[in-house]
Amino acid sequence: MVTTVTAGNLTVRNRRVGLMLALGVVAMVGLAYASVPLYQLFCQITGYGGTPKVGVVVEKATGAAAERVMTVMLDANVNKGLDWEFKPQVSKIKMPLGEETLAFYIARNLSDVAITGTATYNVTPFKAAEYVSKIECFCFTEQRLEAGEEMPMPVSFYIDPEIMNDPNTKDLENIVLSYTFFPSRKTASVETKDDNS
Amino acid sequence: MAHDDHKPGFFKRWFMSTNHKDIGTLYIILSIIAAIIGGAMSWYIRLELMEPGIQYIDDFQFYNVLVTAHGFLMVFFVVMPAMIGGFGNWFVPLMIGAPDMAFPRLNNISFWLLAAALILLVIAGLTGGGPGTGWTVYPPLSSAEYHPGPAVDLGILSLHLAGASSILGAANFITTILNMRAPGMTIHRMPLFVWAILVTAFLLLLALPVLAGALTMLLTDRNFGTSFFIVEGGGDPLLWQHLFWFFGHPEVYIIILPAFGIISQIVSTFSKKPIFGYLGMAYAMCAIGVVGFVVWAHHMYMTGLDVDTRAYFTAATLVIAVPTGVKIFSWLATMWGGSIDFKTPMLYAFGFIWLFVVGGVTGVTLANAGMDTVFHDTYFVVAHFHYVMAIAAIFAMFGGFYYWIGKMCGRQYNEGLAKIQFWIFFIGVNVLFFPQHFSGMAGMPRRIPDYPDAYAGWNYVSSIGAFITMAGTFLFLWIAYRTVTSGEKIGANPWGEGATTLEWTVDSPAPFHTHEVLPDMTGKAPAE
Repeated sequence: MVTTVTAGNLTVRNRRVGLMLALGVVAMVGLAYASVPLYQLFCQITGYGGTPKVGVVVEKATGAAAERVMTVMLDANVNKGLDWEFKPQVSKIKMPLGEETLAFYIARNLSDVAITGTATYNVTPFKAAEYVSKIECFCFTEQRLEAGEEMPMPVSFYIDPEIMNDPNTKDLENIVLSYTFFPSRKTASVETKDDNS
Repeated sequence: MAHDDHKPGFFKRWFMSTNHKDIGTLYIILSIIAAIIGGAMSWYIRLELMEPGIQYIDDFQFYNVLVTAHGFLMVFFVVMPAMIGGFGNWFVPLMIGAPDMAFPRLNNISFWLLAAALILLVIAGLTGGGPGTGWTVYPPLSSAEYHPGPAVDLGILSLHLAGASSILGAANFITTILNMRAPGMTIHRMPLFVWAILVTAFLLLLALPVLAGALTMLLTDRNFGTSFFIVEGGGDPLLWQHLFWFFGHPEVYIIILPAFGIISQIVSTFSKKPIFGYLGMAYAMCAIGVVGFVVWAHHMYMTGLDVDTRAYFTAATLVIAVPTGVKIFSWLATMWGGSIDFKTPMLYAFGFIWLFVVGGVTGVTLANAGMDTVFHDTYFVVAHFHYVMAIAAIFAMFGGFYYWIGKMCGRQYNEGLAKIQFWIFFIGVNVLFFPQHFSGMAGMPRRIPDYPDAYAGWNYVSSIGAFITMAGTFLFLWIAYRTVTSGEKIGANPWGEGATTLEWTVDSPAPFHTHEVLPDMTGKAPAE
């Protein structure tokens, strides 16, 4: 038996399939863009890739975790495009689990113009990040320093006692909290004329 | 059955073509040109790496550009055009009994977009230091900070055009295969090459738009102040790696699935038996396609994924060994008890199976996150992917060329010379890539023009292999030239009883118009 397919009929069917495939392509491009907010959301919720959690309610440690002390090393970096000095006030602090702790960095503008910078942060080892929560941090906003100005940069954070119950992290004794200052991309980072440094 | 063999004039025929065979020929010519450029780059790289120290390439950015361009050319302008655009265009309509592709004019656009993309890529390589990002184009290396100037932007636009070309081609193939099969040519009777192209087209359609989206983000990051991948703007360079490999891993199956199809046709033809486990073979390809989308982070074990994530990606990656194993064993079972004819295409099929198994074994090794911690970014990885996808794909292309050239130009290649070419090439690529396992295990890193003296021995051997391969390549070009100009004329089916697919029922060379009266396949056995 030979089924007769008229040319017109075939053209209509081809166009229908072609259109559906085109929709599939558009959907996949959409998915690529949708992955940007989804990925950020995912990182903030899970602490994936060393993204510390932000603005969580502090829970007091109980039991064994209450006696545990974690050594947090404070690390500071400056992007080469930013003429600042940036360092922690102390390089190492010992802090109890489940207790809000305040640490200070110090930033100084080495140039003779006002510069706006912004800091990125992460926690090493990455697996510890989901237990490190920031209550308040200089890295949440952009920081503007006048020419030669020096300013303390406070960060208030705490380590979730749950870190002791996770088999992947319960052996941890040291955590590195790291910041890198970059020239701001959102605000014009150098407000007066470029000093050609 | 009167074939209308009326052809339009030269310009109209080759520059405005809507004929699936002519467009297929154009793709194959483009692929050969790109292969000569991309091959020359790899020989130059091996020349530099033959001895420790810097001999020929003292501009390291230029070395990076060579490595990058070699990758782009071979992936997007050699393997994909030859297997999908070339053999796919030529033989999918012939094998399913369709008179042409579903959208012939779209087919023309696909080809010329790719030609434009190739020109853009060459311009990118010649502009302001060139793109030295590697084919993976990772930011921050590919950002405006480390690659200022238009070279990377031109490269991105080139990939956009190549991607658009492939997406249009893929939509065309899917529509053709779904709607235009001859009566009785059910899905489960299609030749395995058609199955391979169908699965590949779906992978292209789902993976390439993600690359297009990611490339657009990179382009706006570089030029228009967005910060998708820029840390200080709130972005994350790792997001690029996720998006790139969500495309990039299916891409390696896009390269190898059509090769599976070609090898299935050849093994069946020269064993004079239908393929063992036809349905298993078809659905193994589907399974590889599906699983290929959920293993991408095995390229990112060193980016700080947590241990559970790495465990998942290790397990999922190892699963791929099952359907690929089904394919290997089915080819062997097809040969088993067959009356094997050792013609050149069959030699290339044997060569393909050897290369794919070696590359597959090292793939299972690398799939383990713990092992990859040691092997990451070493020559072990280079050896692995050249075996499993690069050289394996090239072997399938050579096999397909020798298998089908008689059908395409009506003249047969010289069997003796072709066998010599096979052996030169087979010895060449193994001498070239096998020692790279050893230097890689010893710790030799990828993408460097210089290395410590400790790695000198195997690098020297590897470079010798590259020059043997080069000789094999030039011999192939000579054979191809002699075949097209003065090969022996052949009839419709030069391979005899083993060649059962529909392309062997039409004259050689295939007339300008074929299957104008649809062949009736009702009640026939599966094609393979």
